[in-house]
Amino acid sequence: MPNSPQHSSEFPATLDDMKTSFLGAVFKRNKPPACLSSVLKHAWDNPTCAQFLQCWQAAVERRPCPLSDMAQESGDLASDCQFWLQKLSEWDQTCTLETQQDTCLHLPRFQEFLRQIYEALKEADPTTIMERFPTIRQLLAKTCQNPFILAYDESQKIVIWCLCCLINKEPQSSAESRLNSWVRGLLLHILSAFRFDVKEVGPFTQCLGYEPADYCPGLLKNMVASLVSELREGHLNGSNTQRRLAPERLMSLSRICVPLVTLPDCQPLVEALLTYHGQGPQEVLWPELFEAINEAFLLKKISLPVAAVTSLWLRHLPSLERAVLRLFEKFVSSERHRLREIECFIKDSLLPQAACYPAVFRIVDEMFRCALLETDGAPEVLAALQVFTRCFLEARDKENKQLRFAFKAYFPHAPASLAAVLSQLPEGLPQGHWLQRLQLISQQLKEAVENQPQGSHGGPLQSWFLLAHFGGWADVAAEQLLRSDMDPPAALLWFLAFYHGPQEGAQQRARTMVQAEAVLRRLRELSGSTRLSARDLQALGESSPGDPRSPVCTQLIRQLLLNFLLWAPRGHTIAQEAMAFGRLTSKPQLPSPPGWETPCLRAQMCTSLGVHSQLRLRRGWPPPMTSPRRLLAFWTRPCTDGTS
Amino acid sequence: MEPLLQHLERFSEVLAVSRTTHVSTWDPTTVRRALQWARYLRHVYQRFRSHDRIRTTLERRLHSLCKEGGLGVGPVPGLRNFEALGRCDILLSLRLLKNPALGDAACRYLLQQLFPGAGVRDADRELLQDSLASLARRGSAVHMLRFNIYRENPNLQDDPVMKTQAELLLERLQEVGKNEAGGPSKLLCSLWERLPQNNFLKVIAVALLEPPMSPHPQGEELKLGSPRILEEGSQELLHWLLGKSEILAAFCRNVPAGLLTLVAGRYPALSHAYLSVLADWSQRLHYDLQKGIWVGAESQDVSWEELYTRFQNLCQAPPPLKDEVRTALKSYKAQDGNFEVPGLSIWTDLLLALQSSA
Repeated sequence: MPNSPQHSSEFPATLDDMKTSFLGAVFKRNKPPACLSSVLKHAWDNPTCAQFLQCWQAAVERRPCPLSDMAQESGDLASDCQFWLQKLSEWDQTCTLETQQDTCLHLPRFQEFLRQIYEALKEADPTTIMERFPTIRQLLAKTCQNPFILAYDESQKIVIWCLCCLINKEPQSSAESRLNSWVRGLLLHILSAFRFDVKEVGPFTQCLGYEPADYCPGLLKNMVASLVSELREGHLNGSNTQRRLAPERLMSLSRICVPLVTLPDCQPLVEALLTYHGQGPQEVLWPELFEAINEAFLLKKISLPVAAVTSLWLRHLPSLERAVLRLFEKFVSSERHRLREIECFIKDSLLPQAACYPAVFRIVDEMFRCALLETDGAPEVLAALQVFTRCFLEARDKENKQLRFAFKAYFPHAPASLAAVLSQLPEGLPQGHWLQRLQLISQQLKEAVENQPQGSHGGPLQSWFLLAHFGGWADVAAEQLLRSDMDPPAALLWFLAFYHGPQEGAQQRARTMVQAEAVLRRLRELSGSTRLSARDLQALGESSPGDPRSPVCTQLIRQLLLNFLLWAPRGHTIAQEAMAFGRLTSKPQLPSPPGWETPCLRAQMCTSLGVHSQLRLRRGWPPPMTSPRRLLAFWTRPCTDGTS
Repeated sequence: MEPLLQHLERFSEVLAVSRTTHVSTWDPTTVRRALQWARYLRHVYQRFRSHDRIRTTLERRLHSLCKEGGLGVGPVPGLRNFEALGRCDILLSLRLLKNPALGDAACRYLLQQLFPGAGVRDADRELLQDSLASLARRGSAVHMLRFNIYRENPNLQDDPVMKTQAELLLERLQEVGKNEAGGPSKLLCSLWERLPQNNFLKVIAVALLEPPMSPHPQGEELKLGSPRILEEGSQELLHWLLGKSEILAAFCRNVPAGLLTLVAGRYPALSHAYLSVLADWSQRLHYDLQKGIWVGAESQDVSWEELYTRFQNLCQAPPPLKDEVRTALKSYKAQDGNFEVPGLSIWTDLLLALQSSA
């Protein structure tokens, strides 16, 4: 694993540093974060740090920060009422571009506020409510006048609930009766929220015996269809100025759509907007619309086709960043995931499919790189990266060959031949060719590492990062080393040593290779003996005081030992016995973050065993093992000692 | 089956009553019962919507109710068709809420039932609550689109407001057509009396264009905009229109030329009628030697420009309409004496003008 210098506790200076630290903080926590900001609060006690990180998060969200009026979450509902009442009045008085934009920006928080009000209201009786919230009537009345709010998500439902709370069950006075009537009137207003005052329509529908409830859905559907065809025509006839939509109209349309993003009837409109491009390089739609759509998509409130989501991410970078962050959040937020779950998360996110566009791929890749750097190559991150790469290659395979981008576009800094040769996954080759391929890879890698002048593109780490994507080859290398009866080829040893320690000096690496070779020889001996026991393996795992092993070496040897258990003909006979021991190597591999227990053997295997090997196990490879299923079942059962 | 039909009848009455002042006598128990019936019938709808035979039986009973007018409450409708069953709880709820005559206690009970709040465990109540909220949401959406984005489409057949009106008209016609033979005609006549005629004629034109010319599978769900309904409805419409010469003339006069050409292109019977109307108009014009133009005798006669525009539009239509029009024009010209010189026959002049612009 790369032994990069630890990040100092000094405060990160640049935006990139901040981002990296943030990602690291995300990965170091193993408790499910309620939201990312609470992660930040735990991770950094220093108040200036927290503030800076808030700035970064805001930067990701591309909001002006800190907004003077956004920072008002006082937690005191009564004063919040004042704040929102003022806001509603502003929005009421003018119906300009600015007020519409401001309304759209505040919709989610206002809905949250409404929920809190409802919680407070539902426990109390109307008299108490009026005492506690004297302005509640005004607030609700103004809310009912605002179609943006009523059209957003569940706000209309919550307002209705709030109003129902104001009803007096046994009105004692005429004032109370009047209040009841007032509530009733307002409810009616919400439920017949539109008066389509194109003058002929009312009488027409009435004469036919229809009520607004009958035809409102149909009318909405027709209006959406009409807008969609307007957008399509405008798009197709791009050069024809008559058909093209005016910029103000597009802006207006994108503002209107913000509250409507999760309304199923408006789905075709959302998709049409996402795939509508203007003539020039500037964005023609309001960026907040992209945010709203992205949020709805990430929260699974809407589902979009791949083309639409890709278009969204290509046009609005913060949305892509959020999508990746959300994926990372999922990895961190619960117990150690199984491979299958990680694969599901990744595929569901649609990121691999979108990554067929090199621009998207490079952003996602960069975020993975930051995460790896910050967590010193944590195996979870590595596994996620490898799964992501597999899914990406799969998605790319399905693409139309003519529309595909050249492979070099995805890894611009890597030597083209190395990228090409690595990207062919082991499964794509017959097993007999693996050794040869590995030697080729090793050779090219060595060239790339040795020929790269120090400091350019991050030196050996750059090559390591490329290799990390296709870590399956490391698993294959370990397996090849164990299976062969001959002396281990130097190329493979070098390859594995590099994989586990790209920044080791030449001398140290040579030493690691020698130590590994010794272990391999011993394993071959043990394999031949009839009384092989788990203790023998454990003895190998211990490093002797006369011949200390570097952490890199320990890791490499651990990989060899685990692979021995898996693949060597005698290995699996003692596997169960080995499980009982708890761990194969004496020292934990990484300095454990506070609060983490030393992972048990099974956990070690699940993470140290590369994605490639885990997948092979899942598919029932390789030839004769007595109980591959049992072993696999054992590994994928939840650990009983509570650490994984 | 019979108990179900009786329930249906009774609920239809209830629904009709819910709009009248009669509800002032309702107490919370009555409201509860009404809501229960509505819920029950909605379940019936869910259960039998793909069951053709039962659906037809239910629908027939509903239609017979309407026909007899046997609700005893005048023209206020109860349940009109099977589709309405799927929304009957929403319809009932909204009517009751809108009815100022509903007593306070009953109203409070109604609100409690309709909006139980978050975390309600009863799936039906949650569904009703969500449906009402969704209606409110869509209403706001329409409002926002209307006031910020909507522009009337000059091609009326693509205008969403027109289309919606057309769809409603066709649905009603098809429904009424099932009740009784002369139903659609009566409905259309009464609409003609009561509605602003200009808009009505345009809606008719859009309605005649409504069903897109594509085949549809049998047994398709009957809902607003379903091709089968639209087609049946437009046949009724056409039949009526062609039977009333005065209305037809007004139709040809008021509907914009482009739209009318499209309609004529679809219905040969209408294109014949249109041409006759145009011929009639043309005969009313005479040539004013001094001014050198064709003018009408009275102010309400169609002008030369108008005639020309209409014929031009027709000549730009796809065949066979285009050819039909040309043939007609030529034959009119021949009948009129086959002059080549302008100023003698309007047909000659029209043809000359059309040829020079082509």
